[in-house]
Amino acid sequence: MEYSALQVILVFIVTFIAAIDQFSFLESLYQPIVTGMVIGLILGDVQTGLIVGGTYQLMTIGNMPIGGAQPPNAVIGGIMATVIAISLGLEPNIAVATAIPFSLLGQYGVTLIFTLMSPLMSVADKYAAEANPEGIERINYLSMTLLGLVFGIVVTLFFIGGATMGQAVVDAIPLWLSNGLSAAGGMMRFVGFAILLKFMMNRDMWGFYFLGFGLALVVTNTAALATPALLILALIGFGIAYWDYQQRTQLGGSAPARFDGGEEDGI
Amino acid sequence: MASNDQTEYTNLSTAPDLDQKTLNKMAWRSCFLQASFNYERMQAAGWLYSILPGLEKIHTDKDDLATAMTHNMEFFNIHPFLVTFAMGLVLSMEQKKIDIPTIRAVRVSLMGPLGGIGDALFWMTLVPISAGICSNMAIGGSIFGPILFLIIFNAVQFALRFGLMNWSYKMGMDALDSLMASMKAFTRAASILGVFVVGCLTVAMGPTQINAVIPNGTTESYVAHTVTLPTEEVDGMLDMVYADPSAAEPTALVSADGISAGVNDLGNGYAEVTYMEKVTSPVNISIANILDSICPKLVPLSIVMLLYYLFSKKNFTPMKGIVLVLIIGILGAGPFGLWPSIWG
Repeated sequence: MEYSALQVILVFIVTFIAAIDQFSFLESLYQPIVTGMVIGLILGDVQTGLIVGGTYQLMTIGNMPIGGAQPPNAVIGGIMATVIAISLGLEPNIAVATAIPFSLLGQYGVTLIFTLMSPLMSVADKYAAEANPEGIERINYLSMTLLGLVFGIVVTLFFIGGATMGQAVVDAIPLWLSNGLSAAGGMMRFVGFAILLKFMMNRDMWGFYFLGFGLALVVTNTAALATPALLILALIGFGIAYWDYQQRTQLGGSAPARFDGGEEDGI
Repeated sequence: MASNDQTEYTNLSTAPDLDQKTLNKMAWRSCFLQASFNYERMQAAGWLYSILPGLEKIHTDKDDLATAMTHNMEFFNIHPFLVTFAMGLVLSMEQKKIDIPTIRAVRVSLMGPLGGIGDALFWMTLVPISAGICSNMAIGGSIFGPILFLIIFNAVQFALRFGLMNWSYKMGMDALDSLMASMKAFTRAASILGVFVVGCLTVAMGPTQINAVIPNGTTESYVAHTVTLPTEEVDGMLDMVYADPSAAEPTALVSADGISAGVNDLGNGYAEVTYMEKVTSPVNISIANILDSICPKLVPLSIVMLLYYLFSKKNFTPMKGIVLVLIIGILGAGPFGLWPSIWG
């Protein structure tokens, strides 16, 4: 698949914006579900873009910057998965698994950039001591531009080189490997779920996990409810969480008092 | 020259209130909190960038502005979506010209709790729910998946940014107490919803199934055929009609679909005979059926539990988890054709 100059430029711009957006601005434009659709639009296959973006998004659901940790980079991973799926005609699950090395590369890139930016802070200190607001603003704009450029250039290089090199690689993949990658791609989301659990779970939370699991089995196996299943389940979950919150705030303080009163009344 | 050792501003008179336009401008700028993120000061320069419009209005004295900018360039790291809460508080203190160590203490003390509450609210509740629902729509080919995701996420984000900015600025120090009072309950409630939703997602988005079949010998069954033939030829076929033709009252064979064998004398020298043909067929045990009869979605549940165990008890990094899943996927597919794929 050959790309026009316009497509290459558009992919660069999308990556530039997404790279900045992963830490600043809306912090949602960079999500694979969005970049998948946009890259699909640029490469002329929105349908594949949507499916790959959605599949990649499920994998990254738990791979968020929780507690400041640096997860495998969703910007490079999401964009490359879509590019691979469309330009090489790979199945979405396989494309997602194939893009993982790229996301790892992105993770290292971000770590490197965060380290290299540190010396800039002494310059910022100087501007602060001089009461120079424009200097502080410049440092922030400069940093964002650098981040966008690094990501944009790297992804554009992969994008141009990937299409010609990639086809030969795909042709050489045996059936067992593509089956295995496809199965693994479908399981990647469990990594995301497990990381979420790690951060949220403690002893009294297990019940709520299995409550969700059990209710979801019931709702998803009811034909009429299968499509809006997650929304219905979210409503149930919200009700439980809100009730718990009320128990612990408004009622929490008065509950023991009422209990004492009950004893006095001889009940 | 301003330094971090300064404890008081030179101009100690309270500055006039910040107007709504400045507050809105800062709420908007707070989107760029992590613009110059780095490992040394983290969000410090972005934090200073965000509150600069307010600081410039409050500290008209240039030395005081330098002092304020200097102490606000210290290490700072907070949840990016809840930063305006800290901004409002710090600005209300700057405006009252409170001594710098106190401002610093409040700013630092906000880093921990707001981080936890923000993670619980955004990464563990809002993103799993909205991205979970919208990814499903996108995988189904709906272009509204990504659009709906952006709308939900940003509506919540901006409501919080602008709401917290105004609220915490007006409440000043009181806000800290009011938040601290119910924060534990709030974090817990958000975690309950998050855990519950992950339980749902394990089912709704866990397509993984072991589709292997195990051959378990063969079984014999009968298939019925009906013919019409001269009565004298019937005797020769009796062993295909009855289980034990020589018995006094022989039992008729019954086919797999419930048809019984039998002889019906038509009375014109012919008889209609329903006889059985023995068929041998292989028997397979379907692992998927067995697993589903224990509990549907058992495979996704087991993998999530295994990964949770590795992440929380064995200090696995997410990347190690991803590699492990890759290995499971490829091993299950029978590498180099060594064994049949279990993924069906």
